[in-house]
Amino acid sequence: MSDFTKERRREDRNIEHEKSFGPSRWSHCRKRGINGSLRSNGEADDIDRGRNGHTDSSYKHPDRRHPSFTTPESTGSVSRCGRQADWGSQVEDDEMRRDVHRDMQRYRRRILGAEFTQRERRASSGSSGSCDSREGDNMETDEAVLLRRQKQINYGKNTLAYDRYIKEVPKHMRQPGVHPKTPNKFRKYSRRSWDQQIKLWKVKLHAWDPPAEEGQDKTLDVVEELNLDDVMDIELDFPTITDSQNTQTSLPIHSLSVEDEDCGTPVKVQRTAEPNIA
Amino acid sequence: MENSAEDYRIQSFDLDTQRLLKTALKDPSLVNLEKVSNIIVDQSLKDPVFSKEAGRICYTIVQAEAKQSNGNVFRRHLLNRLQQEFKEREEMRARSLQEWVCYVTFICNIFDYLKVNNMPMVALVHPVYDCLMRLAKPDALMNEDEVDCLVVQLHRIGEQLEKADNQRMNDLFFLLRDGFLLQEGLSSMARLLLLEILEFRAGGWMLSSTAHKQWCVSLLTW
Repeated sequence: MSDFTKERRREDRNIEHEKSFGPSRWSHCRKRGINGSLRSNGEADDIDRGRNGHTDSSYKHPDRRHPSFTTPESTGSVSRCGRQADWGSQVEDDEMRRDVHRDMQRYRRRILGAEFTQRERRASSGSSGSCDSREGDNMETDEAVLLRRQKQINYGKNTLAYDRYIKEVPKHMRQPGVHPKTPNKFRKYSRRSWDQQIKLWKVKLHAWDPPAEEGQDKTLDVVEELNLDDVMDIELDFPTITDSQNTQTSLPIHSLSVEDEDCGTPVKVQRTAEPNIA
Repeated sequence: MENSAEDYRIQSFDLDTQRLLKTALKDPSLVNLEKVSNIIVDQSLKDPVFSKEAGRICYTIVQAEAKQSNGNVFRRHLLNRLQQEFKEREEMRARSLQEWVCYVTFICNIFDYLKVNNMPMVALVHPVYDCLMRLAKPDALMNEDEVDCLVVQLHRIGEQLEKADNQRMNDLFFLLRDGFLLQEGLSSMARLLLLEILEFRAGGWMLSSTAHKQWCVSLLTW
């Protein structure tokens, strides 16, 4: 027998061998097989092997991966929604992951640089500052969290309002409080606090929506008066008001194309801030 | 970005399509990007000349769309269309060898040009390997067109592929070495091409100047 055919036989045997290993390695985490029935370790192979004929050949033996894997393998952690098999989504997810890592490196360098100069300044002036400049130590680094936050930021930035905003107001002209600022995804925040910051940021951005209705100007005044900066920094805990109560105030903002989650927010905030405006 | 139409080799298209492609290159928001991606893929599968450099026009459209609207529509459609064809590559090969060879040329070209943050697209690494492994199988080695495609692609993207997955490159070269040494009925040209690629990788994806001269001589005396 030539080495050539021997090698092929060996390769095939290895594949079969790997296939029987595949599900067993993971099946201790899964109580049930694909058809829903409870299974033992030995059973797993038979159920799963039957499916092989239907699988996409790109996921077959070359990767030594069993087709019934529920967790796709990739270069790093994968979110639960990352189970998309189409190349378009895979590349997009991969790109976002790389962008986040690159941002993280840049941010770290920036913070460390800023911290260093601050420490020098403090040392030379002889004062002992508080520890609130230690952002480098207290940075959010969980990839899943950063990816989720980046996605939320991307939704806000992919709007006409945002495009118009950055064209109209260059960064150095931004006034804190008046002009929306993208939440910093590297700071540690609770999930609620972060989600609320994103909501408020997007609400503020609506002030730059392309002119569609005459109610536009009224919205601008309302939003600017709200002075949301106080609200942005604290952890927000709104009482659960039902939607029927919210529709009392007929803000033009409802008639614009706003995501459902935003409908309640401007009204709630207005209610809280109203005493200040008066 | 100021490449003339000739650089993208779009002369093979009819005039209307040429106009559509030129618009896509300058102002992607004005065209139906799904349609454009289908046009490009269809042509790549038919036209060997176009498939060799179609990656370039795709790259430019992707960049233009990203810059203009931060969008990924074209890239997504292109990749998913590639994936569709990939799933049915065995049937494609049985139907038309030329189409299959064009497909492999095209997907390798895309792999070469379309990078994500200057890194090759991870999603394409395994599919490209699958294609090259198919070309290294005994029945494919009997066709000079397939062998030619295989060595050309390895010259272009072999080093990148190896960096992305060294083990699979080893597996591929096991097949190539076996084919070169043992396969009966291989044409002399095929054997020569295989030997050259074996030496090329052994030399670190480069041919030393002396080796290059030797190869030129042996090809001349061919």
